[in-house]
Amino acid sequence: MPGADKEADLTERIEAFLADLKRGGCGTGPIRGSGETARETTALLRKVTAQARWSSAGDLMEIIRKEGRRMTAAQPSETTVGNMVLRVLKIIREEYARSRGSSEETDQQESLHKLLTSGGLSDENFRQHYVHLKANVIEAINELLTELEGTTDNIAMQALEHIHSNEVIMTVGRSRTVEAFLKDAARKRKFHVIVAECAPFCQGHEMATNLSKASIETTVIADAAIFAVMSRVNKVIIGTQTVLANGGLRAVNGTHTVALAARHHSTPLIVCAPMFKLSPQVVITTVVRNRIILSKVNVHCPVFDYVPPELITLFISNIGGNAPSYIYRLMSELYHPEDHDL
Amino acid sequence: MNEEELVEYFRTQMRTDPDMASAVAAIRTLLEFLRRDKGETILGLRESLKWATDCLTEVDSSVAVSSGGELFLRFISLTSLEHQVRAIHSHRLLHIHSEKNVGQSSLKASPPPPCLSQDLSRCKKVMEERGELFLEKISLSRTKVAKLCHTFIKDGAKILTHSSSRVVLRVLEKAAAEKKRFTVYVTESQPDTAGKQMADALRRLNVPVTVVLDAAVGYVLEKVDLVIVGAEGVVESGGIINKIGTYQMAVCSKAHNKPFYVVAESFKFVRLYPLNQQDVPDRFKYKADTLRTVSDLSDEHPMIDYTPPSLITLLFTDLGVLTPSAVSDELIKLYL
Repeated sequence: MPGADKEADLTERIEAFLADLKRGGCGTGPIRGSGETARETTALLRKVTAQARWSSAGDLMEIIRKEGRRMTAAQPSETTVGNMVLRVLKIIREEYARSRGSSEETDQQESLHKLLTSGGLSDENFRQHYVHLKANVIEAINELLTELEGTTDNIAMQALEHIHSNEVIMTVGRSRTVEAFLKDAARKRKFHVIVAECAPFCQGHEMATNLSKASIETTVIADAAIFAVMSRVNKVIIGTQTVLANGGLRAVNGTHTVALAARHHSTPLIVCAPMFKLSPQVVITTVVRNRIILSKVNVHCPVFDYVPPELITLFISNIGGNAPSYIYRLMSELYHPEDHDL
Repeated sequence: MNEEELVEYFRTQMRTDPDMASAVAAIRTLLEFLRRDKGETILGLRESLKWATDCLTEVDSSVAVSSGGELFLRFISLTSLEHQVRAIHSHRLLHIHSEKNVGQSSLKASPPPPCLSQDLSRCKKVMEERGELFLEKISLSRTKVAKLCHTFIKDGAKILTHSSSRVVLRVLEKAAAEKKRFTVYVTESQPDTAGKQMADALRRLNVPVTVVLDAAVGYVLEKVDLVIVGAEGVVESGGIINKIGTYQMAVCSKAHNKPFYVVAESFKFVRLYPLNQQDVPDRFKYKADTLRTVSDLSDEHPMIDYTPPSLITLLFTDLGVLTPSAVSDELIKLYL
C-alpha cells in the first residue's frame, strides 16, 4: 500500500537523521555544519507535517514535539535541531490563530497588559479542525527553508559595512559564516586576518587555508599568543555554535579567552550568527569530551565555552546587526514561551 | 466605604494571610472598594480610587502598595475605555436609526441615551469579574517564578540572600522539593533583623542556613556561588528597590563576579526612573509612621535602596526570565 510505504520511508529518514546526529558529535567537529543540520531538520519536519496523520493543530504539535524530543536526545549539544522544532511549533500556532481569524496580538507573549485586559484564563487547546491549515503550515515551512538557505549570503552582504581597508581582523577556529563574511569583504577591500588555531583539533588551520585561497593575507597563531597579539588587532570577528537567550554565547573552546583579551584592549567583538542559532536556553551545561592523549593521564577537553553578554559588542545575523541586550526581543518573535521546554 | 473601613479591611487582609504580598492585599482592598462604590461616573470612580490608594499608602508606605494601586487604576482605565467606546457606538447607532424613522427632529439636541447609566453598572460588573480573574492570576505568580528560578540552583550550591523575602523562600522551597542540596547565607538585615525570620523558615525546611552580619557580605561572598534577592519594586530602568543593604550586596557580587539574580512578581513593576539613590522619593524610603511624625528626615535611616540594572544579571518574573533591558519594554507595553 502506498500509504504504508510513505510512512516507512519517513521513519527510515528520521532514523538515518538521528544516527547521523549521534555520530556527528565526535572529536574532529561536526560532520556537517549547523546550517545543513537546520535545513535537514526543517525538511524532515515538513515531511512529517505532510505525511503523518493528524486532524487538528493540537495533534500536529504533539507529533512534532515527540519527534523533536527524540532528535534533541540524540545529540543534546546540537541546539539548532531544537531551535528548528520550536520555530515550526510557532508557525503552527500562528497559522492556527490566523485560521481562527483572531488578530496576531491575542496569542502573544505574557505581558502585564495581557494580564490586566484578558477576559478569561486562556485555554487554547488547538482542537479545531481547519481545512487549509495543512497547506498553510507547509507553505510557511517552505518560507522558513528559503530563509535558512539565504542566511550565510545575508550575513556576508553586510561585510563591507564592518570591514575597512588595512584592518587587522582576528578570528578563532573555523566558522563557515565568518569565512563567507571575510571572503565577501575581500572582493573589494584589502585587509589582514589573524587566525587562532584552536587546539587540539586545530580547525584554524583549515580556515587559514581557505582564506588564503581567496587571496586574503592570513597568519595562524597559537592559542597562547592571543593576548600578546591582541594589541595589534582592530576587530575580532567570530562565529558561534549557539546564541543564548541572555545574549551570551556557547562557542568553541578558546572564545572566552579571545573575548576577555578583546575587552582588555577595548577591541570590538563582533559575532556572526544566523538566527537559527538563537536558543531559548539560558543555563548551559558544559560538554566535556574525554580523550586519552597520554595513556596514564585523564585529559578533560571541554568542547564549548560560555561567553557572557557583557563581552560582546555586536551580533550580525541575517536580519541585520543587533546589540546583545536586544536578543531577548528577537527570541520572543521567533519562539513561543510555552514551547521553551520541549 | 470610608477611610477607617478601608484601612481596617487592608489590615485584616494582611493579618489573615501573612503570606500574601502587600500589593495583592492592596488590590484586593481596592476591588472591595470598587464593589461598594456608589458613584455614577467613571471619572468619579477614578478619583475615589486615587483617594483610596493614598489612604493605603499612608498605612503602608512600601513601593509595592503604590505599584499595586497604580496597576489597579490602569486596569480600571483600560476596562472603562473598552466599554465607553461601545457605549458611544451603540448610542450613535440608536440615534441614526431613530433619525431614519423620524427625520424632522434632527435639529433638536439628542437626549442622553438611556443605555449609558445601565452601561456603567455593566461596566462595573465587568470590572469586578476581571478584577477577580486578575487576582486569581497574580496569586499564581509566585509559583511561576519558583518554577523558572529553581533550575538555576545547582546541587551543592551556596546561596546568599538578603533579609526576608517570601518569593525567595518559595524558590528555595521548590528547589528543596526537587531534592537539591544547597546551603544558604542570610544577612541579618538591621534595623528590623528580618533575616532571622527567613533563617527560621529555612530551618523548618531542613535547609542548612547561616545568619551573617550585614557587614560580613564581602567576607562571605568568596564562598557563595550565586546571590538571589527579592524586590519591593522593579523600576523602569530594570533596577530594583529593595531593603537597605541590597545595593551593597550587588556591588560586592559584581566585584567577585558572582551572578546576582532578582525574583519579583510582575505586579511590582513601577513607573519610576531613579538615576541614583537620591532620586528615590522620600515617601518610599521611610516607614509611614516616620513620615507622619518626623519633620526633619535627614536624621532618619532609609529603609530601602536602589540597585541599578548594570549590577543585575537576570530578573525572574511570572512573565518569564528577563534581562534588565526587557523590563522597560514590559512597562511600555502596559502604560503606553
